[in-house]
Amino acid sequence: MSDLAQVDKTVDARGSYCPGPLMELIKTVKAASVGQVIEVLSSDQGSAKDIPEWVKKVGHELIYNEKAQDGDYWRIAVKKVK
Amino acid sequence: MADAPKLSLVLMSPDMEKIHAGALMGSIAAASGMEVNFFVTMDALKMFLKDTVSKMDFKLGEVGSKLMEKNVDPFYKMIEDAKEMGELKVYACSLVVDVMGWKKEDMLDIVDDIVGVTAFFGMAEGGQIMVL
Repeated sequence: MSDLAQVDKTVDARGSYCPGPLMELIKTVKAASVGQVIEVLSSDQGSAKDIPEWVKKVGHELIYNEKAQDGDYWRIAVKKVK
Repeated sequence: MADAPKLSLVLMSPDMEKIHAGALMGSIAAASGMEVNFFVTMDALKMFLKDTVSKMDFKLGEVGSKLMEKNVDPFYKMIEDAKEMGELKVYACSLVVDVMGWKKEDMLDIVDDIVGVTAFFGMAEGGQIMVL
């Protein structure tokens, strides 16, 4: 279950096609400070697989990746670690 | 970024689907820390002309038409955004530019330079090359 209290910023990229949500997330993470947690909301079917892969590749930390209970979209949170 | 992994994409086909797929892969690679070089040659280069884009004179298949209809970010927008997020360059093939009589200013601003294959191979050396 996601702990919304620890999210510093939420990017609502629902309705945006691949790779929109990932790109929005990357932009936001770049602008964030180390230690901040960014959450992205995505209705793109690839995001739940693609975003964790990007997080692993660039060395940040995946906090959670889950399908929202109130709709057909995913909530994915990433902590900027460097 | 001198030791970043490199990806070079050769765009040859004017098909919107191939250019879109190339732009998408290149953008993600650049945003993931790779050094990305596009070499745009043959009929693909026509899609990088300001005139083509302003007239929306694209070669569209079924998916390409749907991309336009649903207002998915076009290839040139993806490339423009990716340039802000990482290391991505677009090179126009000098042979095509010469035979077609085009100039650098005829091409979209995302085109960085006009080079030949030798210069492109120099950039691509040691990395992966994809041809579309």
